[in-house]
Amino acid sequence: MIDTTIFFVVALVASALGGMLGMAGGIFVVPVLTIFLGVPIRIAIGASLVSVIACSCASAAPYLRAGLTNLRLAVVLETATALGAVTGVLLTGAVPLPVLFALFAAILLISAYQMRARRVDVVALPTTGRDPLRLAGRFRDPSGREVTYHVHRLPLGLGLMYGAGLISALLGIGSGVLKIPAMDGALRLPIKVSSATSNLMIGVTACASTGVYFLRGDIVEAVAGPIALGSVLGALLGARVLMAISSERIRLVFVLVLVALAGFMVLGAAGIDVVRGAG
Amino acid sequence: MTPPMTGLEKVLARVLGVGTALASALIGLGIVAGVPRLVTAGIAAIIALPAIRVAIMLGAFVRARDGRAAAIALAVLAILALGVLVGR
Repeated sequence: MIDTTIFFVVALVASALGGMLGMAGGIFVVPVLTIFLGVPIRIAIGASLVSVIACSCASAAPYLRAGLTNLRLAVVLETATALGAVTGVLLTGAVPLPVLFALFAAILLISAYQMRARRVDVVALPTTGRDPLRLAGRFRDPSGREVTYHVHRLPLGLGLMYGAGLISALLGIGSGVLKIPAMDGALRLPIKVSSATSNLMIGVTACASTGVYFLRGDIVEAVAGPIALGSVLGALLGARVLMAISSERIRLVFVLVLVALAGFMVLGAAGIDVVRGAG
Repeated sequence: MTPPMTGLEKVLARVLGVGTALASALIGLGIVAGVPRLVTAGIAAIIALPAIRVAIMLGAFVRARDGRAAAIALAVLAILALGVLVGR
């Protein structure tokens, strides 16, 4: 019961803080469980994936109602993320634990970098006018103005999404780290559309891997249950207290935490037993 | 241009919102009452939600006679099924 409470609180805090910055708290769950709570990394990954799906579903509604989610684009890109996730599942057995820790450290560092460099709306490229899948969309910005946008460089976007799905399945994260460059950079979507659409896609991406892990019996209910519950409540809480504290300050703290966790994961990769879940 | 599909968006928002709430309630009840099976059922429901969402979209695309979008939604479901077949 003590463990249950700790798992719940860890997920609640990670998810609430993540929600304030518009990032998923999932990236903190695996490092904290393995480094500080001695949970084996594969069990931590399974639990984290369940919470990733739960948060994606719990936060989808406002985006959908605001008309920001591009549903057609979401399914097109989901073919790539889901394939990537299935590839990741097939690879899990073959990837040695030190490599898994090292890969996680790299993703944490990239996240820290992205958190420092803020996202800005990119300038739209001229369109070719061809849109066979009818992916272009429009939404209303806060001032009520209608914004129309087009989807660029779909093949590049699909390639990056495949990678994002693979990393998501291997590390148990939502992989926003790779989805953001894909959606903002390759596809040139407005940030709001990009956030809304990738939030929805994360659910299916994680579903592709988690479904298999669940059927294999790799999802440990005593860990995944409280983690999922804490994450959902934390996400709701984070959205409420969004503006209470200066987000610049939180941003800086997050960058430092991400770098520190990356350091611990490197120790885990080296098999040093500061990291109790490395064994 | 994407045709407005506000009906579909409303349905999906409701299914995902209510689905997460019910699944979370199952997990919470299972933990408090000490019934691991309830927790597992809640976890299974969460995992199934995105697949249900794609299935609802598939239905909407079929009804709208949007062959391409329906084929793509079907492909996503097929990949999920493939994962279960090859990954187990």
